[in-house]
Amino acid sequence: MTSEHSPNDAASRWPILMLLLAGSVWLVVSGVLGIIASVQVHTPVFLSGCPLLTHGRVSALAETSFVYGWLANAGLGLALWVLGRLAGEPLRAQNWALIGTAFWNIGVAVALAGVATGDATGFALLGLPRYVQLEMIFSYAAVALPGILAWSGRLRRVSFASHWYAAAALFLFPWLLSVAHVVLFALPPRGVVQAIAAGWYAQGAWTLWLAPLFLSVAYYVVAKTTGRALPSYEFAALGFWCLVFVGGLTGGRHLVGGPVPAWISAVAVVSSALLSFHVIVVVLNLRGAATAPGVSAKFVAFGIAAYALGAGADAATSFLGVAVKTEFTYFDEALRQLALYGAATAVFLGGIYFAVPRITGKAWLSGRLVRAHLLLTFAGVVLLVGSLVVASLVQIPDLLDAKVPFAQITRETRPWLLGVTGALGILLAGNIALLVNFYATACEILNLSKPAAFEAPAAAETHAS
Amino acid sequence: MSGEPLRDPGVDQAAISDEGLLDAHERALGRQHHEDGARYRLLPIGILFVLSGLVLFAGTYLNRYTGHYSALVFNENAKPSMNMAPKVDPLAVGRAQFKAVCITCHQESGLGLPGIYPPLAGSEWANGPADRVVRIVLYGLKGPVHVAGKEFSATAMPVFGQVPGSAYNWSDEKIAAVLTFVRQEWGNKAPAITADEVSAIRKAVGARKEMTEAELLEVK
Repeated sequence: MTSEHSPNDAASRWPILMLLLAGSVWLVVSGVLGIIASVQVHTPVFLSGCPLLTHGRVSALAETSFVYGWLANAGLGLALWVLGRLAGEPLRAQNWALIGTAFWNIGVAVALAGVATGDATGFALLGLPRYVQLEMIFSYAAVALPGILAWSGRLRRVSFASHWYAAAALFLFPWLLSVAHVVLFALPPRGVVQAIAAGWYAQGAWTLWLAPLFLSVAYYVVAKTTGRALPSYEFAALGFWCLVFVGGLTGGRHLVGGPVPAWISAVAVVSSALLSFHVIVVVLNLRGAATAPGVSAKFVAFGIAAYALGAGADAATSFLGVAVKTEFTYFDEALRQLALYGAATAVFLGGIYFAVPRITGKAWLSGRLVRAHLLLTFAGVVLLVGSLVVASLVQIPDLLDAKVPFAQITRETRPWLLGVTGALGILLAGNIALLVNFYATACEILNLSKPAAFEAPAAAETHAS
Repeated sequence: MSGEPLRDPGVDQAAISDEGLLDAHERALGRQHHEDGARYRLLPIGILFVLSGLVLFAGTYLNRYTGHYSALVFNENAKPSMNMAPKVDPLAVGRAQFKAVCITCHQESGLGLPGIYPPLAGSEWANGPADRVVRIVLYGLKGPVHVAGKEFSATAMPVFGQVPGSAYNWSDEKIAAVLTFVRQEWGNKAPAITADEVSAIRKAVGARKEMTEAELLEVK
């Protein structure tokens, strides 16, 4: 039993490890910030005397560190790894990725400092202050470069679904952020056009950037762990193009019923519904994850289930008749967490647990911590999303009744908001387990006398049958 | 890593190499056009139905709730109505019609061709009573006609209106638009003509053959 991967993984380990490690650190940071923000929702006096950590700022901090710290770093690292592996040769232009990673994370740190001192933009999923945006576009491009080279210079002409999704994400994010930068900051329009542009970016960041990133990881991990061609794979390309064409048109999703021309929200409603075709294809392709062996496949299976559930709920609640009830309630927050945590984060965690032993040549130091992280993530996401959904069900009839005072609604939802804080605590505990494991593994390879020497962990890979 | 790698969650097994993964999926896609032919697989009917259903829904929804993509309709439920049809400029419609059809004989300059096609620019007919020009376009004109002191008898004006024997079947709106254009172009300064005026004449006169100059001159 020999391993086919060793020279490539060992030769391209540093940029990938750096991205994944940085992502894991930001994951814990955003976990702490998220808990502070959630405590302030049910106990408003908490830290209210500290101007840096008032609720508006701390929730923007939590979101920014989660999306641009954790999801971006982890997604980029795993996309580079998957593209490098499928290319069949070590990553090229690794120095670009290393420098890009450094500047991307400096950008995130500066952005957080800016948000804490009051420079947040106020747009959903785009809390980055104006002055770091250009720097982050260029850093992203530098990190993406080895991935693009691995894709375009792959040894075999054939491409796999992971290729498409990863390459799409690498190309589309700079486009999204640069357009948003020009339209929202460099030449800001007045009035409602601003909300339309911000909605386009927020939806695009999910459908055209984060979703393709985690789907590329999911397709790879599921294909590797099941060991066969994915079922219904002939539709995978249709599912991909469905996402690419329709995903960006969901921009008006959260403007339904707002002061925008009716066609913008109508197109968004239709696009959300059409996306369910993409989701059906993804579920058909990746259904083997549910029964595949290993912790990584469990994470991915959970993530895909959350993705499907979230997309279905998103399409259903985009209709005007439903949206007037759910918009601006905890239900929106529940869907957001289901997507960012339940889907993207779970798949990225599965990808990290699959990739790092191969990249480092070391098994995770504590298998118990890995298992614990899996259970804590499942429990945490279920409790988090469940509490938010119940809170929204309590809240919605009261909000629609003009006679119910707002203080009463706050009182009635409080128990469920405590549940949210508890869930975030559970998730944070799991993420600290990852960081500890990661840190220990990283220390071990740094202590190696010959860093280039690579020993495949036993049974990490088997031959093609 | 030690004794029991299979049960160690520290390393997840991969059941296939990267090469094998690419091969397997290349084969999965290649099944359709295998050399032995006739192995083309229909899309499983379920997926086809789902996609068709979604597209049908999308088309219906967009047709019903987009307010004709107007930037001024903010209510999804607004009923599409007649006043939402965009206002058109009769001069623009008339110009387009003229350039598509009339220009062949009367020329872009509106001067016609000396001795063959009569001019419209400065013509006492074009600038004359509305009742006469509407009849010319609606029913056509045959026989000699005098324009600006010169006689034209080589050709006939075709029938344009929605009347029996018409080669063009132009609506009253189109005729009104093209006449309005002709009466305000090339320095012509006659009043505009409305579709209602054209309809009124068409209904009053009914079906008939081409007009002659003499008949037209009787119309005041």
